Order: sequence, then C-alpha cells, then structure tokens
Amino acid sequence: MSSSNPSSHVAGHIDLGLADRCRREVPGAFEELYRLHSPRLFGLAYRLVGPNEAEDLLQEIFLAAHRKMSLYKGESSLGTWLFRLGTNQCLDYLRSKRARLALLTDTMDREPDAPGTSAGAILGVVERMDLERALTALPPGARAVFVLHDVEGCEHRDVAEQLGISEGTSKSQLHKARMRLRTVLARGKATERS
Amino acid sequence: MTVCHDVQSQLSALVDGQLPERSVQATVRTHLESCAACRGALQDLEKLRRTAAALGPMSPPDHVWLEVAGQMHLKPAQPVETPRELPRRTALVQWLGLAAAMLLVTTGAYFVSQQQAAPSSTSVAAGNAQTPGTVEAVAEELSMATEHYEKAIAQLEALAQSDGSTLDPSVAATLRQSIQTIDQAIADSRSALTQDPGNDPARDSLFEALRRKVVVLQATVSLMNEMRKGNQAGAAQAAAIAFGKKS
Repeated sequence: MSSSNPSSHVAGHIDLGLADRCRREVPGAFEELYRLHSPRLFGLAYRLVGPNEAEDLLQEIFLAAHRKMSLYKGESSLGTWLFRLGTNQCLDYLRSKRARLALLTDTMDREPDAPGTSAGAILGVVERMDLERALTALPPGARAVFVLHDVEGCEHRDVAEQLGISEGTSKSQLHKARMRLRTVLARGKATERS
Repeated sequence: MTVCHDVQSQLSALVDGQLPERSVQATVRTHLESCAACRGALQDLEKLRRTAAALGPMSPPDHVWLEVAGQMHLKPAQPVETPRELPRRTALVQWLGLAAAMLLVTTGAYFVSQQQAAPSSTSVAAGNAQTPGTVEAVAEELSMATEHYEKAIAQLEALAQSDGSTLDPSVAATLRQSIQTIDQAIADSRSALTQDPGNDPARDSLFEALRRKVVVLQATVSLMNEMRKGNQAGAAQAAAIAFGKKS
C-alpha cells in the first residue's frame, strides 16, 4: 500500500504488541485499536459506500478484525492490514446484490466528461464538504478508484489489485471520475449563483 | 493539430506527474499554452486533487464502538494458534458473555423454528418433508423465546447488583422503558401470529422487535463494561446514545 499511509509510520513492535494484546483479550486493547484506526476507516467507508451505510460497515470491519486478529503476523502495519480489510469489506458490500440493484443505472460512459471546451477554469475554491457531497454522484467503481487514489493516496497498482482491474483501467476511471466531479461541482456552483 | 479531447484525456496523468513520454509532455504543454479551456480543466483537476488529499479521517459516532463491543461478546475471536493463558476476567464479564450468547442462541432457534413452521408454497407443492407448524407449536416457540429473553434480562440485572456496580437510576429507567416498549411490540406481534401464523407483517414486526431487544441488551453489555471500568458518566452517556439510535 502507499507510503502515504500514516499507520506505516507506527513502529512494527508497537503494532505487534497491540495485536498480541487484542488476541489475548487484554481489557482495553481492542478499544485502543478501534480508537487509533476507526477515524480513517470510517472516512473510507463513508466515502466508498455512502453515509447511510458507513456506520454498519465500520462495525463489520472491526468485527472482522476481531475474528481475524490471529491471522495478523506483522508483515505490514496494523493500519495497512486494517485498511485492506476495510476496503475489502466495503467492496464486498458494493458488489452485493443489494448494492447493485440500487445502482443499476451507473455508468461513466453515458455522461459528458466536461463542460464545453470554450470554458476556462470553471471551479473556484473546492470546499471539502462540496467534494464529499459530489462523491455520491460517482458510480461505485469510479468512486472507489478516486477515493483510494486521490483521498487515501494509494498507487494505481494497489488500486488495481484491490479492485481486480488493470492499472490502465484504474487510470482511465480516475480521469473520468475527476472530470465528472468537475462537472458536478460546477453545476452546484451554478445552482448556488442562480 | 492536437485537439482538446486528446489533451484532456492526458490531463490526469499530467496532474499526477505520470505523463509517459517527453514527446507527449511537450505536445500537451504546447497545446495548453494556446488553449484556455484545457488550461482551465488542468487547474480544476489540480484543485480537485488537492482538496481530495486533504479530506482526511472522520470521527465515527460514539455509539458505533458500543455496538462493536457488544457484538464482540456474541462473536468470539478465532482461537490463537499458540495457546496462551487468557487473562483472568471478572465474573461480570463472563456472565455477560454467557447471557449475550444465550440471546443469540434463542434468536437463532426462533428463526429456524419459524422457517420450519412456515415453509414456502413452492416447497410444500414440491413435497418437501418439513412438517408445517401448528398454531400451538408457533405459540410454544414464541413463548419459549420470550421466556429466554426475560431470563437473560433478569440475570443481567441481578448480575449488575451482585457485582456491586448499580446502574445509574436514570439509565436504569431508560433501560426498563426500552425493554417494556419492545416487550409490548413482541406481545402484540405474538398475539397476531397466534391468530394467523402466516401473517407476514406480524412476523416481520416480531423479528424487528427481537432485533431491537438484542441491540438494547448489547448496549447493556457495553454499558456494564464501562461501569466495570468505573466510568459512570461515560456509561450513562453511552447508554443514552445507544438506545437513542436503535432502541
């Protein structure tokens, strides 16, 4: 996973110690793990599956971590291990029948990529809250690529591996996602002005 | 002549510093010098990239941890490969785990019995050997489920007192009110199902009420853990949040 992962800075022996305490169910250990890593994983779930399901997904991520803690051998930081676990949980959800039914009409190819070519820069300052809202306008696949690459700082090879796609597809989906977000944000600004 | 469409497809790679060849870079930059639209698109993508990188972590609501903690009592972790001596847990925690596990078994048994009692018309037509349930059988299962729940609640309450950690009165009142409300919903649904075992809305209501009861009891487990740690204020706050969300 990307070197931008903040958890990778945590010393390995500290992660191994915490994992060991979690496995032995030392009181407070799992809560410590949760407090350390839940903000990043909640942000991930919130952006990948949306605000309505993010809390349930966060629960599932940590329950899965609780069940699988014996499988953690310290090859990566606990943060990276949890991030992969969390991403897989979210992607499994998005692949589920329930999610597919809700998002049947998703496609990036039907939409124009950008406003007319006569325009220059069409965005002013991009506010975080506006971007959070605009993310929901993306289809799940493109949203996953955007979140993993641009928000979480993963490299395309990691994004491709996690999503089971080629690096080329990851790059093209990222570009389409950015252009769609540009369009969505520009429409939002136009609506505010009118 | 380079057209905007060709250049715009390269803009993300340019933003990421990943344009593959110098010749392509030169072509794109030459076009950008003369095309305001593509320059604007590039500026917008750079803004998007910067803002996205700054989104950062988000704090989840407090009740999520309570629900995780409660669920952990119901779903034990996989055994560690090299057995170790587990730390000695207090009797309270052991009893809470047992009570929570009993709830899970009761709920599971009830759902299974319901599936056996009300097979689909397809399976009946196909000669499935499952025996359709009778009104008496359904009533008996419902009665058993309720009895188990009430027994679990009684154990939890008795346990809290025997452990010397009494519930805050306002929290205890909230607990009682939540349980009573859910019990009423369970009783109403059970009554409807006794009259008509095929009443799907009543069955769904019963499932929902049972699920809510499990949630409240999970919150109780978490609450008592907080009390065990001596965090009275946190326990009261936790209970209020947990019950307010899903009770």
